[in-house]
Amino acid sequence: MVETRPAPAQPDSFAVTAARLKARRNHRRRLTDLLAYAVLIAVALIMLYPFYWTLITSFEPTGNIYEAKILPKAVGLRNYSEMWKGTTVPFWRLILNSLIICTLGVTLTVTLATLAAYPLAKMRFPGRDLIFYAILALMVLPNESGLIVNYITTIKLGLLQQTNPVIDAIRQYMAVVLPGLASIVGLFLLRQAYLGIPLELIEAARIDGASELTIWRRIMLPLATPTIAAFAILEFVAYWNSFLWARIMLPDKNLLPLSAGLLELNGTFSTNSRAVMAGAVITIIPILIVFAFGQKYFMKGLEGAVKG
Amino acid sequence: MTTTPRRASRREQHRVGGTGAKVTVRNTLISYAFLLPFLILLVVYHTWPVIFGTYLAFTKYNIISPPQWVGLDNFEELWQDEQFWSGLTNSLKYILIVPVIQVIALLVALLVNRPMKGIGFFRTAFYVPVVTSFAVVGLIWNWMYQQEGPVNAVLGFLGLHSGGSFLNNPATALYAVMFVTLWKGIGYYMVLYLAGLQGISPELEEAATIDGANRLQVFWNITLPGLRPTILVCSLLSTISAIKVFEEIYVMTQGGPAGSTYSALFYTYSRAFQDFQYGLAAAGGIIIAVISIIFGLINFRLTRGGKADG
Repeated sequence: MVETRPAPAQPDSFAVTAARLKARRNHRRRLTDLLAYAVLIAVALIMLYPFYWTLITSFEPTGNIYEAKILPKAVGLRNYSEMWKGTTVPFWRLILNSLIICTLGVTLTVTLATLAAYPLAKMRFPGRDLIFYAILALMVLPNESGLIVNYITTIKLGLLQQTNPVIDAIRQYMAVVLPGLASIVGLFLLRQAYLGIPLELIEAARIDGASELTIWRRIMLPLATPTIAAFAILEFVAYWNSFLWARIMLPDKNLLPLSAGLLELNGTFSTNSRAVMAGAVITIIPILIVFAFGQKYFMKGLEGAVKG
Repeated sequence: MTTTPRRASRREQHRVGGTGAKVTVRNTLISYAFLLPFLILLVVYHTWPVIFGTYLAFTKYNIISPPQWVGLDNFEELWQDEQFWSGLTNSLKYILIVPVIQVIALLVALLVNRPMKGIGFFRTAFYVPVVTSFAVVGLIWNWMYQQEGPVNAVLGFLGLHSGGSFLNNPATALYAVMFVTLWKGIGYYMVLYLAGLQGISPELEEAATIDGANRLQVFWNITLPGLRPTILVCSLLSTISAIKVFEEIYVMTQGGPAGSTYSALFYTYSRAFQDFQYGLAAAGGIIIAVISIIFGLINFRLTRGGKADG
């Protein structure tokens, strides 16, 4: 850098040196860009090839199943129809379960967090700081026995009792979603969003005689929409992907969500991995759709989750 | 009835620019009404497991008959159980992954932080594994690792020795699972580093460049110190999740082959849900919790120590 610094202060030579410097910087920039692309493409291949491989293999009717390949040897939908018909559990039922669990889970989790964050951000009452720090401590404290004790709690609450098919189904769906409903991260995200809302708005509404519930619904919720959207997407992904809790707890395999059901099918379908691959592809698609549409919010929500 | 606000809340009030409503019985009742549904679930599913789990660790319990107080018997049993030790060792080995995942994620974040064409595609591509369920990811990698599968094909192509299925070999199974954790996690930490990078003011980096600092010097003296808080969060998160590794093992190996991939948490899972020894499992859970707290503190110390001179 030092040797290119212009020694004579004549305007002409200044321009020449500047142009040379710029050309050199551009050249170097193009080189580093090329190198960056090379690395990025290599990493992207490692990240995406397993998905791509699963996709193309799921379309192949026959052949050497585990072979590495770039294009499918043949294309057909047999694996998908086989997966759809299912053996022990019908696949459409798993999708239905996942949709119910996601709808229930996301709606309730978002509602609870948006409600609870309001007084913690914008009201004053005895015990507020205590509650806030207690929740904070819970987040830091590792909760390893959670699975075991929650399983015991679920049994003691009678959620796994079997009496009437319809009531059983409702109870078991509730058993799946209940442990996740109080989201501490969500509470923090929303408290953070509420803190940014100007107090004057709330004061004005209070003077106009609006109830706190109205203020929450008419002022807090609309102004916190970006955060709520991000949180809802995060929760959708979490509920859609959850499998462990449901798989451990649910006695009725007909009520398993898709991810958990897929593992079950992998056991029963062990002779036909291609059908399970078709199921895996179907399981990923909704997440990709949600992700494609909500990517901006999603990334923001994730960043906020760490910063908040 | 109006009470004067305590000092702490007044300070808080100052910080958030006032909270408006006065402390009245009515406002208190309204506040608790808003909080109640959340708090009930929080207590039942977050607080109670900590309390009851700690109690269970000192009992024999199989759900059917009431818990029986046995003192430290469970911990003694764990001490003598080889399977538990190998699980614990594997969980600690899993920490090997932490520096690798951090370095790669940071490098990738630096690359996708550059203004280049098509960068959105790469950011998305690296994030796809993160949003995919371990159920699916585990299945996919089970297929990838098959003897005839793509991983062996690539290794063979590179002229490396490719043996049988990685997951069927006790010597390689744990490392094969580790690779999947790494593969799935990079995108997550990349996004966090990206957020951290965007928090560093570009003026500082520009000023350094004008002063004649080269790229490496800018990175070392401006970018890296600016990222310290992010590095702390990321390494803490990945250390704690390494100690608690479970889902990938559950889906890919179930602790096998020959018990070589038992993690500490997988051990407690199998004691609870396969052997119905809930007390023993709870004791294992406490040990894991204590270890993650210790590692969390060490991590915090190390990164904060670095912050002082940054």
